[in-house]
Amino acid sequence: MAAGDGNAVSIELGHFALILAFAIAAVSTVGGYTYWRSGQRIALVLSQGAVLQFVLVAVAFAALIQAFVTSDFSLLLAVNNSHSLKPLIFKISGVWGNHEGSLVLWIFILVSFGAMVAAFGRRLPDDLLALVLATQSLLTAAFSGFTLFTSNPFERVFPAPMQGNDLNPVLQDIGLAIHPPLLYAGYVGFSICFSFAIAALISGRIDQAWARWVRPWTMLSWIFLTLGIAMGSYWAYYELGWGGWWFWDPVENASFMPWLAGTALLHSALVMEKRNALKIWTIFLSIITFSLSLLGTFLVRSGILTSVHTFASDPTRGMVILALLALVIGGAFALFAFRASSLRQGGLFAPVSREGALILNNLFLATAVGAVLVGTLYPLLLDALTGTTISVGAPFFDLTFGALMAPLLLVLPFGPLLAWKRADVIGAAQRLIGAAALAIFATILISALGGVSISLAPLGLLLGFWVAFGAIAELVDRSRLGKIPLRESWRRLVGLPRTAFSTALAHFGMGVTVLGIVATTAWETELVTTLNPGETAELSGYVVAFDDFQQVPGPNYLSDEGHFTVTAPDGGTRQMLADRRTYVASGMPTTEAAIETYGFSQLYLQLGEPLDDTHVVRIWHKPYITLIWLGAILMALAGVVSLTDRKLRVGAPQRARKPVASPAE
Amino acid sequence: MLFWSIAIAITAIACAALFYAAGRRVNAAMPQTEDANSHFRLVLAGIDADLAAGKLGEGEAQAAKGELAREILRLKAEAGPAITSAKGLGQAPLLIGLAGVAAVALGLYAALGSPNLPSQPLASRPELAAQSIDLEDAITRIESQLTANPDDLRGWTVIAPAYLELARYGDAARAYRRIIELSGPTADLQTSLAEALMLAADGAGSPEAMRLLRAAAASDPTHVLSRLYIAAELTRAEDYPAAASAWQEALALSRGGEPWLPAAQQGLAVAQNGGVAPANEAESAAIAQMVSGLAERLSSDGGNVEEWTQLIRAYLVLGETDSAQAAYDDAVTAYPQAFDRGEMDTLALGAGLTLNGVEP
Repeated sequence: MAAGDGNAVSIELGHFALILAFAIAAVSTVGGYTYWRSGQRIALVLSQGAVLQFVLVAVAFAALIQAFVTSDFSLLLAVNNSHSLKPLIFKISGVWGNHEGSLVLWIFILVSFGAMVAAFGRRLPDDLLALVLATQSLLTAAFSGFTLFTSNPFERVFPAPMQGNDLNPVLQDIGLAIHPPLLYAGYVGFSICFSFAIAALISGRIDQAWARWVRPWTMLSWIFLTLGIAMGSYWAYYELGWGGWWFWDPVENASFMPWLAGTALLHSALVMEKRNALKIWTIFLSIITFSLSLLGTFLVRSGILTSVHTFASDPTRGMVILALLALVIGGAFALFAFRASSLRQGGLFAPVSREGALILNNLFLATAVGAVLVGTLYPLLLDALTGTTISVGAPFFDLTFGALMAPLLLVLPFGPLLAWKRADVIGAAQRLIGAAALAIFATILISALGGVSISLAPLGLLLGFWVAFGAIAELVDRSRLGKIPLRESWRRLVGLPRTAFSTALAHFGMGVTVLGIVATTAWETELVTTLNPGETAELSGYVVAFDDFQQVPGPNYLSDEGHFTVTAPDGGTRQMLADRRTYVASGMPTTEAAIETYGFSQLYLQLGEPLDDTHVVRIWHKPYITLIWLGAILMALAGVVSLTDRKLRVGAPQRARKPVASPAE
Repeated sequence: MLFWSIAIAITAIACAALFYAAGRRVNAAMPQTEDANSHFRLVLAGIDADLAAGKLGEGEAQAAKGELAREILRLKAEAGPAITSAKGLGQAPLLIGLAGVAAVALGLYAALGSPNLPSQPLASRPELAAQSIDLEDAITRIESQLTANPDDLRGWTVIAPAYLELARYGDAARAYRRIIELSGPTADLQTSLAEALMLAADGAGSPEAMRLLRAAAASDPTHVLSRLYIAAELTRAEDYPAAASAWQEALALSRGGEPWLPAAQQGLAVAQNGGVAPANEAESAAIAQMVSGLAERLSSDGGNVEEWTQLIRAYLVLGETDSAQAAYDDAVTAYPQAFDRGEMDTLALGAGLTLNGVEP
């Protein structure tokens, strides 16, 4: 807008755009909830409003990015988080590398999803569309209001300083450019499911068409969240220098809880779409998932997690956050309690059936969410109420979470093999014998090769192989491999709907991740030693030779580089470079570990602090660790396969034709 | 004004778009069940396709279709009375809503925004940007050289005053320390290091700074700056007898006409008077005359930033805040770029003057 002259006021235009979006959202909320029964006009106005909100927030976001890119230090946010000499990519990612900017990113993704509903939702019943968009507008109004009144990113400085304070060097990583947008797309995407659930509760109408609408949004959000979490895990793994890939850190848990609930929601929506059953579960999980997303966002954003006291130090912001959470989550659950009983129950089914299996799945996942939630919040509450600091660490989570997941994984392969409505467990078990035998064989083989050091490891492996092979069993079964001629089997296999492949791939990915976790936990080896250049160390058959140590200046840091030559058990040699950086400006040290991938395993090498003229070197051998992330990628890929399924593709051309054809109808 | 016209135009466009959307006629007769129907058609087509592809048996397909038919019947029975209420969205509530949007947006912006503050991208602040970026650039380059070669005396010598210029006093102190390590102490270097230390401590002298200054003064009997600093620090520390003799020592080195002379004389007077500026009428009159002379000269012929700063400081010392404000405003007219004013803005800000029409 307003080219040329507009540049002179672009920051203020962005500010105004965000305020106008807030105004439209606020009025849409009131109008939508008041007039949702009144027919088509309100739906059309709200759709237009959703598109306008998107355009306006995009303008606001672009104004912030422009101010960062042009180093406009009349913007306080840019002063605090940018620097004129920062590379372009970090100038852009710096926009959301802070509290205020990340809220704008959050709102931007929220209104993007709202605009997508408006654009693709022309065929929804008017009242449903009006209620969904009113709820989206409520969220937009709440969050843009929170942003404008307590954390305004458009705060100005006069006179403008000549230089900014720069971004924390640890955040100047490509991870910051990718990880938060992915994670937020996942979090915020679930707002659509939430809005649909609220709309269903208010209107009292919920049917299969509703579920068909909700499922792709759930799937899309789930894909983003899966990739976001996997990406975050790998970032922590290579950047923090400890070689850990999951810490049960509260911030990680905050993203993991919506994922667990979202996974249950995904399965519930599937049942509803196919069988018109599990309506209450689906509604409940829609609300729970988005509530956990909100909780996660705010636990992280409010600073409550790093310290309860930073939260208390800004009472306005903290109280507004609490009020917002209470309004959205409390309101939704009150509505649920009030209205859920009026929803008509759908298709009936026997306890042993595909539906029954999926309920079991929901129960296990919901309990796991509960366990993680307790483990995450209990120390915070205790600290806030009594001032006692306790730490709920990995042992608690490993034990409770593991104990909940093991039975779930055990029955997982049965699920897809059970029929809808009423199923035959014995029959399903028979069809899984092959997978079970294969899993046992693979476990024995690997255990024998790897040397059994932890008694639980073979059981874990067995579980992983069982899930992975069990996932394939469904495809084998449905193509009748071995029972009919091979050519015929192949024809059946390629003819299977995409959802069958998607299910198998997702469950296979789960098995792969379990295998990675078990293998790396059981057989990881670690060596901490002191080395001088010229000396060697050996770990798990890998011979690490410390060739050389140099101090090399980087662009804005001094690097202590260790050059290593690694000889693998097969005799091949590779060069590795591990360094410790000390940033000149902040004096802050970072470690850059050297990581070499051998097959699915990795050798992880970290140069420690110097010790009396020698160097502390930590070496880890992490067998099959990459399977953890490969499994996650497979799961996300499975989601993409599911999204390309026939049902959704058939719908697309009709949607596209509609606006053109409609005046004639 | 430009901003407000743009803002009002955007608001008008948004409201018009919303108003127009309400007026659109789009397949008004589309039944509520349309979506459900299309869903069932898809399911039916899917069953047929599966049957044709041999993925479903004849019996399974029949059973699936039967179940679908039951579901459609159930939905039809339920659909019964139309959900749409009699009350439509009339023109009046729509217009009220749009007026609400405009009022909330413009009102809220008036409260939160800074419509008169233009964007200031670094590139369009040329004369100041050029200096700053070059200096920053040079510093970054020198820093990386020094990181590689910490014994580079020339590098440290170049970078130390640059750090001072950029108000990076801690870095400046580090640099001067390094220079002294590499080249040995001189009175100038010790004084500069002390200056950096005192600036880093917001003007307060530390024992180390005093030790350095005394060493500098001792090593060079004609070194004025170190003596001035010692005197100023003693005055600040309210050790007036010592301060008075330190000022006298410094004044003894004067050949007359040095820029620091008036300040030193004033300092001596303050120290001799026990920390309070002497209320000598004749002297006050002389000062007032001097100040008014400077003010006249500056307003008629103009002057450099230092002179303006001196005038403002003089007014502030005399307690004439209004005159100081007026002088500052004139100086801002003469030097509109904040970067040029530098110290003057700091002085004005510290004295509680109004900067550029904006309350600090």
